[in-house]
Amino acid sequence: MAAFKIKKKRLKELIDSLTKEYRVFIPVESDGVSSFKEVTSDSHLPTINSHNTDRPPKEIFFPQTETLFTYKEGKISPPEQPNTKYRTPNTDKIAIFGASPCDVKSFSLLDRLFGMERNVAKCSGYKDAYWINRRTNALIFTIGCNYPLSTCFCNWLNGGPFTKEGSDLLLTDIGEDFLVEPCSQNGEEFIKTKGLPIQKAAKVDIKRASTVRKEAESTLSEPVDITSLKEGLDTLWDNPVWNEIAYKCLSCAACSYLCPTCYCFDIQDERAGNARGKRIRVWDSCMFSLFTKEASGHNPRPSSKERMRQRIMHKFNYFVENLGDFGCVGCGRCIRSCPVNMDIREVINTIKNVKLTISNEK
Amino acid sequence: MENPYIPVPVKAKKITVESDDKTLRTYDLVFCNEEERFEFLPGQFCQLSILGKGEAPFGIASSPTEKEFLKFTVNRVGVVTTAIHWLEEGEPIGLRGPLGNSYPVEKFKGCNVVIIGGGFAFTTLRALTVYLLAKRQDFKDITVIYGARRPGLLLYQNELAQWEKRDDLKLHLTIDEAVSGWNKRVGFVPTVTKEVAPSPQNAWVVVCGPPIMIKYTLPVLSELEFPPERIYTSLERRMKCGVGKCGRCNIGPKYVCVDGPVFSYAELQKLPMEE
Repeated sequence: MAAFKIKKKRLKELIDSLTKEYRVFIPVESDGVSSFKEVTSDSHLPTINSHNTDRPPKEIFFPQTETLFTYKEGKISPPEQPNTKYRTPNTDKIAIFGASPCDVKSFSLLDRLFGMERNVAKCSGYKDAYWINRRTNALIFTIGCNYPLSTCFCNWLNGGPFTKEGSDLLLTDIGEDFLVEPCSQNGEEFIKTKGLPIQKAAKVDIKRASTVRKEAESTLSEPVDITSLKEGLDTLWDNPVWNEIAYKCLSCAACSYLCPTCYCFDIQDERAGNARGKRIRVWDSCMFSLFTKEASGHNPRPSSKERMRQRIMHKFNYFVENLGDFGCVGCGRCIRSCPVNMDIREVINTIKNVKLTISNEK
Repeated sequence: MENPYIPVPVKAKKITVESDDKTLRTYDLVFCNEEERFEFLPGQFCQLSILGKGEAPFGIASSPTEKEFLKFTVNRVGVVTTAIHWLEEGEPIGLRGPLGNSYPVEKFKGCNVVIIGGGFAFTTLRALTVYLLAKRQDFKDITVIYGARRPGLLLYQNELAQWEKRDDLKLHLTIDEAVSGWNKRVGFVPTVTKEVAPSPQNAWVVVCGPPIMIKYTLPVLSELEFPPERIYTSLERRMKCGVGKCGRCNIGPKYVCVDGPVFSYAELQKLPMEE
């Protein structure tokens, strides 16, 4: 595939041209926290961090709170369009500029659950209209990570700082320019747009990009082999190791709120007076005891042990079984955000060691 | 694209107080828009919705052969069920469904069917029994064992009385402790199952009830030599979406809302024990 390049100082022109057709989301740092914000008339330049943002871009397609429908005097009205607070009147197509490869991979994983994939059987046959409305025709510009963080472990999960899964265009920071590589049909189409501030990349640019990538990859720690983790977990349901792993967990759910692949949600009704209101869905977390607590008072997951087991099992066992891949992209946000320094890499290693001990005893 | 989160309007044609303590009410619901009526099978469930209060899942208690209404029996226990209990006849309610899988009624054809129920879990078992009776010639012997703590907590008593008179259905009713005026069996469901001792020959068994009843009935069925593949039950979990997305009703990798609620004992034995 042909490669192109764009001068960093001309990024604003590219983003401006995108806003004509798309609602454009870019990484922005505000109060020391980097997250994705929609481009407005007075904000046009992304903060390029060379690693993933503090908050994942998941909320662009799956807002933390969204209205499923409103009702008035018994009459139900579903939102005609995806109703985020960001919506502009002219356009609903979404472009994300500057997501990191791990987060972009998470979109592909959640597509399977919400029914974007060709294989609808995988998503239980029900398609999630809200996710699909936003995801359809979305254009994703990924920026590879020149400087992965010490918490990054995408390379454990078939990922890497420059992988393309889910991207339409992959950008590599090569100094004064970004190398731009289309990696989907949408990306190819976009690059043909007239008047883009891009030019063909020279051999030297491609070579430079390849060096940058090798350097970035070399800063990641050696990957731990987790190919048999799913099968390992199959045998560990009753193992006391879950007590050990869950011991210090506060059940605060910071890990799941900041996880790009955590999708569990609650559905609640909000009344505004007697006759009108709305039904909303909000992010929820399996780390909360209320998540599974039944009206009778019975709770199948009463303590943090069962809830931690659920979270780990879901990501590394059930997700694989139901959706064909690990439900983790190695972004490391749960490690960075945990108030008691729980490290999911250590959890994986602990599980692997327990499994090893068991097999040796046999 | 179909939006799986939008309920359709139905209304209560008839509301019956089902138990003597008034915690159980039965609702015969009709569709406000006839074109929204759907096909289903015994064992499936729906989400009932009171706008402003929320949704909760309930097994369909009527048989698909009963075309005039959809029946649900609601135990008043939380916010939504209390709001449903406040409903009066003719008032609107939202419904999403049919959801989940069903009892494998196709497999039951030409076989004996044993139905074992306890307490207010008899709802989808009523659906199943009515279905089998409506297609009576397709099935061999039908045995129903149904128990409650006391007579006033047995559901659908008028129908039970009619079933007792039939000669093409063996009905065994039981209560936990003897009370005056009760001249039928006394004893817990597992014990009564042992006494009745249905034959596993060419038979399927469906058992629904409180977890403690299930726990003690399964070994009895195994003793009677019912293979795990021929024992079915229906599970309940806290649910929200009902369509396999919101992530809370799973037991191991299986979601009760889409992979269940009906599971065979053989399937359950492969799942982790999550109580």
